[in-house]
Amino acid sequence: MMRKLPIYILIDTSGSMRGEPIEAVKVGLQALVAALKRDPYALETVYISVITFDREAKVLLPLTELTVLSIPEIPPLESSPTNLGEALELMLKLYDKDVVKSSKDTKGDWMPLAVVMTDGSPSDTLLFDRMCQKIKGYVFSRIIGCAAGPKAKTEPLGKFSTDVVILETMDSNGFAKFWQWVSQTFSRHSQSSELSVKDLPPPPPEIKIAI
Amino acid sequence: MSKAKSANIVTVTSPTDGSTVRFVYEDPKQGGVKDVYFDPNKQYAVAFFRKKLDFNGKERINRLVGPYRQSIFEREGGDYWKPLFRWPEKVVEYDGRTGIVLPFYEKHFFFGPKTSLAGAEKEGYWFASAKNFNKSVPPEEKGALLGFLQVCLNLSRATKRLHAAGLAHSDLSYKNCLIDPTSGSACIIDIDGLVVPSLFPPDVVGTRDFIAPEVVATMHLRSDDKNRVLPTRSTDLHALAVLIYIYLFHRHPLRGSKFYSVDTDVQETHEMGQDALFVEHPTDASNRVRIEANDQPFLPWIDTAKNPYKIMGPYLKELFDQAFVKGLHQPNLRPTADDWENALVKTLDMIQPCSNPKCVKKWFVFDNTSKPSCPYCGTPFSGILPVLDFYSSRDGKSFRADNHRLMVFPNQYLYQWHVDRNVFPNERITDEQKKAVGYFIFHQDKWLFVNQTLQTLKDLTRDKMIPPKSYVELTEGLQLHLSNAPSGRLARVILVKA
Repeated sequence: MMRKLPIYILIDTSGSMRGEPIEAVKVGLQALVAALKRDPYALETVYISVITFDREAKVLLPLTELTVLSIPEIPPLESSPTNLGEALELMLKLYDKDVVKSSKDTKGDWMPLAVVMTDGSPSDTLLFDRMCQKIKGYVFSRIIGCAAGPKAKTEPLGKFSTDVVILETMDSNGFAKFWQWVSQTFSRHSQSSELSVKDLPPPPPEIKIAI
Repeated sequence: MSKAKSANIVTVTSPTDGSTVRFVYEDPKQGGVKDVYFDPNKQYAVAFFRKKLDFNGKERINRLVGPYRQSIFEREGGDYWKPLFRWPEKVVEYDGRTGIVLPFYEKHFFFGPKTSLAGAEKEGYWFASAKNFNKSVPPEEKGALLGFLQVCLNLSRATKRLHAAGLAHSDLSYKNCLIDPTSGSACIIDIDGLVVPSLFPPDVVGTRDFIAPEVVATMHLRSDDKNRVLPTRSTDLHALAVLIYIYLFHRHPLRGSKFYSVDTDVQETHEMGQDALFVEHPTDASNRVRIEANDQPFLPWIDTAKNPYKIMGPYLKELFDQAFVKGLHQPNLRPTADDWENALVKTLDMIQPCSNPKCVKKWFVFDNTSKPSCPYCGTPFSGILPVLDFYSSRDGKSFRADNHRLMVFPNQYLYQWHVDRNVFPNERITDEQKKAVGYFIFHQDKWLFVNQTLQTLKDLTRDKMIPPKSYVELTEGLQLHLSNAPSGRLARVILVKA
């Protein structure tokens, strides 16, 4: 009977994120969790998992119920490559383990959501390309790719995301607005449906939707 | 305050009444179709439509703040409706967009400052969801069954008023009504999507969980297809029935375990659309809620075997049958808002306080059996329970049963609407008629009715007048003529010993 809505958050922790950007991400994540904890729709269903990726991909937070969740500290960053492919691989592994699929007579979990935030482009291109293919066999309600900062490339994100957004500046204000938008996207199902197609809420002015 | 902040305060003049409207033009709260800004003193909100309104859209909100508003609030009894609606007050234009000025919510629609949800709005879903009700709603905000019944009564009244004016809300949902079960209050917000047949068509289909089956089933058709069903008063009545069920039971009446597709959209189309089936359907058990190991946070509410819908008493059970069995796919059979109001008023006369101080619902509806017990905590009722059955007469000689009974509990009051069949607790009731006419007490092992203001109360069994400021003992079979007016009722007493 109980159906969870899993949300996977993938965060780039490569060296280029050091300093203000990663701090802004941390603040943003905390604000996201605080906002979701005040949203009755999210509180009922949302489970969050956080994956960080640099030289390797790690599970920072296994899939945890929102009501009891607190975001663990992200360790200090070192200069390292951006192994986005490995992060996607790890996410799909967790997906296989965490998500209850609908079967012949049971309603499974809600379609998961993923948010991938990076400021560069993937270093492990071979694995990354393979994962972009593999992810097509998985059901997600949305995969939001967020290209943050001046060096970020939208093109690789477009290969696996349903929505690509661009954060031009990496200041905390921009991140805060991004997470605010993401949290509105999560609680979308509780809002009135218009007569025509369902839209995402419009992004705040600092965020551009690329596709 | 910094300069940058104050620079964002916008002042405009409303074309509706020429008044000045101020608001902080930044960080809007985003709703489904509007961006909401607040005045610097948080006295009112200004909600701008994100899409440019067409001629029809502008005409609709002009009527909302004009004639519709006047017809409901500026007539006799208008004050009665004010707390039940957050009605747009005036129109504003700014930055090429059209907006409406809305009153701020009343204080009791925010969680108290000392609670874990301090300052959050009491939107319905906090209470609708079993898990939220169990785990997130602070204990002091949970209210009691009495409060939830009053919430439903207020929602029914508000819906009835809209419908009486020829309007349909078109998007009733827990998102669009704030409720406070501690005081029993409810307020319908987001009125601007009002539908008037052949004048203003709907611009939303409604909110998930509340969209009527015939609307869901035809959602794939183009909006100008003649088979497409759009929100009307009868779809409002589906939404109202769902709201009432959800607030009384903390579960959805149609979301059971019946499976259609791994695709959630397809599943939704079936379970809310053409194949919608009441989870407690009396003869078709295929959509019953299946309780699984990880459902602990939702218990006991989602367990329909433990809390079946019949625990709300005979009047509400009949309407739920009408709404979710007979009228689910036959919109013209759905109970009207007026039906719900009547049934809720009668049900409120059937509730008993639970004697267990820790009981989560604190009250329960008496189930008409000789061994009543609280369905929530199992505490049996013990003692003597007087029941008054009401009868009324059309010819002054014979009295016929009104299908209305009052379960007496200590310190309960009797009102004019019990005494006189022409009085009903609705907007037409006068302040004088709101006053209690007497009360019931359990004193020295006897149940007494103390008459306060009834001038012509007569004990027919003993053929004796009972003047104000005197009392009568309630005994088995006692017949009381409550008033000698032609519309005066007769009450017959039954004593249930448990």
